Amino acid sequence: MLTLVVGAAASGKSEYAESLVLSAGPARRIYIATMEPLDSESHLRVERHRRLRAGKGFETLECYTNLPSADVPAGSVVLLECLGNLCANELYSPAGSGDRAVESILAGLEHLRRQCREVVVVSNEVFSGGNRYQGDTLTYLRVLAEVNRRAAASAERVYEVVCGIPVCHKGGQMAYAGV
Amino acid sequence: MMLIVGPLFSGKRQAAMDILGWSREELEKRAVWDVQDLAASAEDLPALAENLSHRDVVIATEVGGGVVPMDPAERAAREAAGRLTCLLAQRAETVVRVFCGIPTVLKGKLP
Repeated sequence: MLTLVVGAAASGKSEYAESLVLSAGPARRIYIATMEPLDSESHLRVERHRRLRAGKGFETLECYTNLPSADVPAGSVVLLECLGNLCANELYSPAGSGDRAVESILAGLEHLRRQCREVVVVSNEVFSGGNRYQGDTLTYLRVLAEVNRRAAASAERVYEVVCGIPVCHKGGQMAYAGV
Repeated sequence: MMLIVGPLFSGKRQAAMDILGWSREELEKRAVWDVQDLAASAEDLPALAENLSHRDVVIATEVGGGVVPMDPAERAAREAAGRLTCLLAQRAETVVRVFCGIPTVLKGKLP
């Protein structure tokens, strides 16, 4: 089963995603980290997330690009964090797939779904702050939005986390009268 | 009138076509989108909302979620866009929000 968890910065999406992994029961728990720590701020961010995960039995697998090649154990429960970083890496890192970013990431999600018992994917809501974007920022937003929409279409469950509260958009208890 | 709102690139036009069974040509004839961009230059927002409410489908992108813009014109444009969406929602029989391509009814019922 694939679950997509989307939220704004510091909305509590990681913590909720971890709780979904824990509620999947005993299994090898794999955390797929996508942020390449290139400066002191990103090192601090990594430390914060490691503390959050401490004692929850996660093994960390670093995967900055090429998700289809991620070597995840069969039958494991995977937490992938996050699509926003993965999109940026695929688009702009020298090792990235560039124009094929969307296809690479979606193929990677299918690879995880086939290989693992449960897949929880964290993504970012960065689309409500205006529409006056240009150049690389506009490209990035288009790519991440397409990945989000297509991941949501194929996911069994989709949650939006709002100030720590999960709002279900698909596959569970609806917060509103759903379509 | 059905108002469809949602973040940038969330799949609002596709949702309109899916909900109403429309082709792209029908969408172009019967819907209007990016109405948030009409707000900035409107002299009279209620009149603009009233005009738009005669369309079958009105689509607006949510643009008010970021930090208040430094530029006064952008600030005013964002304010007008939000107010326009509220006026449209009051006049709409149905309001739908699209998130990651998934529609949720906030007001009324789907046809």
